[in-house]
Amino acid sequence: MAVRTLPGASGRLGFLGLTLAYTLLVAVCLGSLAQEDELSLGRNPWANLVKTAGEFARPSFLDVWFGETQLEYRSDDGRVLRVENRRQVEADYLAGLGRATWTTVRIATLGSLLGALLALPLAVLTARNLAAPKPLAWLVKGILDAIRSIHTLVFGLVLVGIVGLGPTAGILAIALHSSGTYGKLFAEAIETLDMAAVDAVRSVGAGPVQVFFNAIWPSVLPQFVSSHLYVWEFNIRDSTILGLIGAGGLGLLITESVALFQWGRLATVLIVIVALVSAFDALSRRIREALL
Amino acid sequence: MTTPSIVLDGIVCMAGGRAVLEIPQLNLAQGERVAVVGHNGAGKSTLLRLLTGFVAPAHGQVQVLGRQLVHQVSAETLRALRQEVGQVSQGLHLVGRLSVLENVLIGALGRVPGWRGWTRCFPAGEIVRAEAALQSVGLLALAGTRADRLSGGERQKAAIARLLVQAPSLILADEPTAALDPSAAAEVCRLLVEAAAGKTLITVVHNPSLLPLLAERVIGLKQGRIAFNLPVGEVDDTTLMRLYRPEDSPQKACWEIPSASKELAAIGSKP
Repeated sequence: MAVRTLPGASGRLGFLGLTLAYTLLVAVCLGSLAQEDELSLGRNPWANLVKTAGEFARPSFLDVWFGETQLEYRSDDGRVLRVENRRQVEADYLAGLGRATWTTVRIATLGSLLGALLALPLAVLTARNLAAPKPLAWLVKGILDAIRSIHTLVFGLVLVGIVGLGPTAGILAIALHSSGTYGKLFAEAIETLDMAAVDAVRSVGAGPVQVFFNAIWPSVLPQFVSSHLYVWEFNIRDSTILGLIGAGGLGLLITESVALFQWGRLATVLIVIVALVSAFDALSRRIREALL
Repeated sequence: MTTPSIVLDGIVCMAGGRAVLEIPQLNLAQGERVAVVGHNGAGKSTLLRLLTGFVAPAHGQVQVLGRQLVHQVSAETLRALRQEVGQVSQGLHLVGRLSVLENVLIGALGRVPGWRGWTRCFPAGEIVRAEAALQSVGLLALAGTRADRLSGGERQKAAIARLLVQAPSLILADEPTAALDPSAAAEVCRLLVEAAAGKTLITVVHNPSLLPLLAERVIGLKQGRIAFNLPVGEVDDTTLMRLYRPEDSPQKACWEIPSASKELAAIGSKP
């Protein structure tokens, strides 16, 4: 990358200067917040911490096996209002959680694929070694940089206003944001191409499309797949939060449990997210290693 | 042997504001085998790239296999020309992730139009031809191996097999033996000359011992100009030494500079 370096930041003195500047920045952040009295931890943080941690430590899904089968809700005068089978209620909740997880996976998968497809032609235009016309390359690079710097949630909020609540908004939000990331990763993959091999294919008189499919595509495909798996995994994490804005999936359950202060249920949802992301991470790492 | 394969007339090639190649007149007949020698930057590679249209001359006329390469050559003309010109160069010129057989089949791309060329679904006849080419360079056993798993010598043999499939009438080889050990170099040269039987072969080469193997005629380039153009029998060590000698030390070749030899001796004596 031919990025211009910050003048005066290189060398030992430059590094010392950078360290000083960073220390100063941290001090200013801390000092100003303290002065505005915004650094308080609330009235009794320890008691709250212990209480919250205790509720987190008992994830709600345990009730499926250990919950009361005859939980009675009584009014103040002792009348039985309702009898609830906790095991049944939590089992139903888990079924809903399963459906939400499936929605999240679908949003991430389709969003990632759409983002990758959107990014592919843009990456070809921005890769320096393929020499697209300069103004076009700059324009596309600007677009990629801009959409990469806008958060998925922001895209989501705007898209919910356009296409309405539901997974479609989530898919489009994921696709738009990650096409910026894909564009950069794909372009870098193309830039590491072995141009001698490309020239060799060109030298037997192959046409441009033949050159693309015989020299460029086979060389960059493994890196494309690897980037795709990486961004896909990232998007699974990202789409769990999209429910916050009404795009459906796990995020919706998070909002629900946070609003009702049901930390046990939140713990259950978080366990599912962690399991999902780590499983996908392990799988995609194995696939990526097999490809290279 | 009388049809001209290559005619250069008043050629000047510019790069970075200076002339890197100036050739007033050069003719090569069909079926001739020619070696090009010269120091680094003498214009050897530029000459080869000129003949395939990768470099355009600033002045002069280039005629290759009966085609004029003037300033604005259409992409179709260039592609048609390149189908008839086979190239072998040093180092990386196979598509590393494709198998050896697929790399050899790339030589057939000029004859395989449309979707077959895009999807690498080559006709059975081309596959038979490619396997025969691999057989003749002794690589058939490695046909399914990925090209980036091959040794340097095997890569050059695969490139020669690609030439055999391409069946060009002019072959340009740019230091095909540069990174090879002597025995591999000799074998690659033998295969190259076999592949070039009846065709025009131009080889850029540094190792003088390979000259008789590869060429009937030797062209010496020095600073972009032709220093000599002699039958291979008349090229001896003195001719070559004069060619490689730098301009600023008229008496001695570079390997005779005393300080350099002392440094080399010092390096050699280290444990």
